Amino acid sequence: MKHKSISRTVIQVCLALFFIVVVIAPIITMFSRINSQSFKSLTSSADFVPSIINSVTTALTATVISMVLAILASFSLCRTHIRGKGFFTMLFVLPMLIPSISHAYGLKALIGVNGSGILSFILGDKISVLGFWGIVIGSVMYSFPVAFLMIQSILQYEDGMPYKAAAVLGIPPLRRFTGITLPYLKKTLISMFFAVFTMIITDYGVPEALHNREFGYTLSILMLRDVENSDFGAAGIIGVMLLIPAVVAFSVDMLVPELSQSGFVSETVEEKEGRVSKILAYVFCSVLSILILLPITAFIIQVFAKSYPVDMSFSFSHIIDTMKSGADGFLINSLIYSVFAAVFGTVLAFVCAYMTARAKSKITRALHLMSITSVAIPGLVLGLSYVIFFKSSPIYGTVFIVGFANAVHFFASPYLMMYNTLGKVNPDLESVGKTLGIRRIKIIIDVIVPKVRLTMYEMAVYFFVNSMMTISAVSLLAPPSPQPLSLMIARAESQIDIGKAATVSLMILIINFIIKLVITLINRKRALK
Amino acid sequence: MGSLNDKLVIENVSKQYKEKEVLKSVSFTVKDGEFLSILGPSGCGKTTLLRILIGLLKADTGTVTKDGVDITNAAPDKRGMGIVFQNYALFENMTALQNVEYALKIKKETKQTARETAEKMLDVVGLSDNAKSLPKNLSGGQQQRVAIARTLALKPDIILLDEPMSALDVATRLSMRSELKKLQASFGTTMIYVTHDQEEAFALSDRIMIMDKGEISQIDTPENICKSPANDYVRTFVLDNLRAKIDSLSKYAPGLKQ
Repeated sequence: MKHKSISRTVIQVCLALFFIVVVIAPIITMFSRINSQSFKSLTSSADFVPSIINSVTTALTATVISMVLAILASFSLCRTHIRGKGFFTMLFVLPMLIPSISHAYGLKALIGVNGSGILSFILGDKISVLGFWGIVIGSVMYSFPVAFLMIQSILQYEDGMPYKAAAVLGIPPLRRFTGITLPYLKKTLISMFFAVFTMIITDYGVPEALHNREFGYTLSILMLRDVENSDFGAAGIIGVMLLIPAVVAFSVDMLVPELSQSGFVSETVEEKEGRVSKILAYVFCSVLSILILLPITAFIIQVFAKSYPVDMSFSFSHIIDTMKSGADGFLINSLIYSVFAAVFGTVLAFVCAYMTARAKSKITRALHLMSITSVAIPGLVLGLSYVIFFKSSPIYGTVFIVGFANAVHFFASPYLMMYNTLGKVNPDLESVGKTLGIRRIKIIIDVIVPKVRLTMYEMAVYFFVNSMMTISAVSLLAPPSPQPLSLMIARAESQIDIGKAATVSLMILIINFIIKLVITLINRKRALK
Repeated sequence: MGSLNDKLVIENVSKQYKEKEVLKSVSFTVKDGEFLSILGPSGCGKTTLLRILIGLLKADTGTVTKDGVDITNAAPDKRGMGIVFQNYALFENMTALQNVEYALKIKKETKQTARETAEKMLDVVGLSDNAKSLPKNLSGGQQQRVAIARTLALKPDIILLDEPMSALDVATRLSMRSELKKLQASFGTTMIYVTHDQEEAFALSDRIMIMDKGEISQIDTPENICKSPANDYVRTFVLDNLRAKIDSLSKYAPGLKQ
């Protein structure tokens, strides 16, 4: 008995040490690179203050728009009796399957840069997507699915009883909204604000593709420039700045009590049957779907048009060109990186979640905190801290560091999925195993893993899909060879090869969509069983 | 403390969680083939005591002796005891039959012997027709029987039951009571049954151990407890509650009080 508990403690300590090495130590090392000289050089740069203003204003504007759209979309789907909810949900989360830079390409293809977009072509006017509003729209497209999923998942599980009681008491609908709905959503809305704001302000795909001279830089672009110039001190300062909203978001999540998860659902909230609310919901969801699909469709058309938008005749030339420039090799690299992150990340997240969810001790509490800390570190910051921390280690410039970075960067969500699932698994299974003489590892393999298999699939897909499309950490860490597919988009951008960038975006979209669809179907089939 | 007839001897067992003393130097004995109920309200320490007896928890002080052998530090599966949990803890991905034969296979019994034993045990608890059913397709009472069959299959000398009927409806509970007594009689197993239900304890037990705040208030036969309750707690918690139940029924069945 004693021997077994010692081995468990050893595993817990090893996991804690692992997180210290891959999360805490790199961040501390990044902090240590900051000195007064780099501070002076950064603050004296003419781009610094405008970059802060640009980052904050675009991120704030996009966050507000994203949240409003997400709230309206979630209410339309969760609170009205419209048909095609699954279809609309699928469309609303579609932008999650492509890199942020691809949204920028979609917008470039649709709206255009100095007359190159289809809208410019149709309207005969030289509209340009570059600058403040282009970045805002691109950021909304990129962040909307996350905001939507956050609020939808909470609205779906709201208890309907308080509404029934309020209706019986004759409380008017507006008062029900302010008195029941808003307090219920309060924490989610606060968390959502910080999560979306962090996502946007740390993203560099959209601003990189859509900034112009008049607009200037954002902090993320400036940070990348500093890394390229090997000014790690200045990049570190920006890293710290980008860490602030994420740390605030993390603290809010930890400190504010979760009203929306307390109690149980006796019955779901009734959906509105009224004709007006249904029509409004249909109109809103349809318009939003079209707005989401337009830029994606534009870059898909771009792939198959001979010379978009001037010569729209069907052609495979962009696909052939992209393949000739080694896209198949990049694709294989991406698949290797993503499968590595999916397998390694899922196993690590399962082991961690098992240790923290099935036993409570000081070590497991510390391990839990470390596991969810990774969510507070933007990919770009994590990438920079890895560059500084692992630069002289043998894994630097190899497949492993990219795989590790992806697994760590996307660790928190799958970990929490498994933590919550394991928390619901019968707590006495291991105890019954002990009394029957069955080893814990056998119970885990034969009983617990089959029970949580669906969650494991979802975790693996989460790691895979995100690793396929991420460009933040990998742009700093990926070795010259093998490079992942997502970086080919950035390379095509610098070569102004829009056809290639669109083709690569489409490849990522198709792969991620297939993987997501297959897993959704498998899970649905298993759930029906 | 123990005598030759004692199957289990518990001496001065104490357990503390942080500041709270859950068990305060508890001592008692259990006779071979006896049905002993541990009765008490939530938080009185009865489940902690059960977990110490099976070896899932370590006592801070005290000893547990079975058949004259000190098993205080023995592993749970080396004590010759089995346990049925409150929530049954069945393996949900396995059929009723697989649930019973799983541990037998792990214990290196041949496939055929394991299968035969498992089938026999399911037959004993009246579940032969449900052998291929998954737990989620069984009723609460049937799930409990699978858990009992799984425990019986390993032929333990003592079976511990942790409030196994708390999730069952009244009718199933009544039928399970008599089945449990029958099983005990046919296997001659010693049973220690934890409950907070006075009626259940009085209906099933050879002796009842009443617990309050980590201490034993009284341990005796149901008759003796009724005749001479040890203190006010036993009088109010056990007897008054029982009387209240009988009184509420006697309105409808006047002869019940006699």
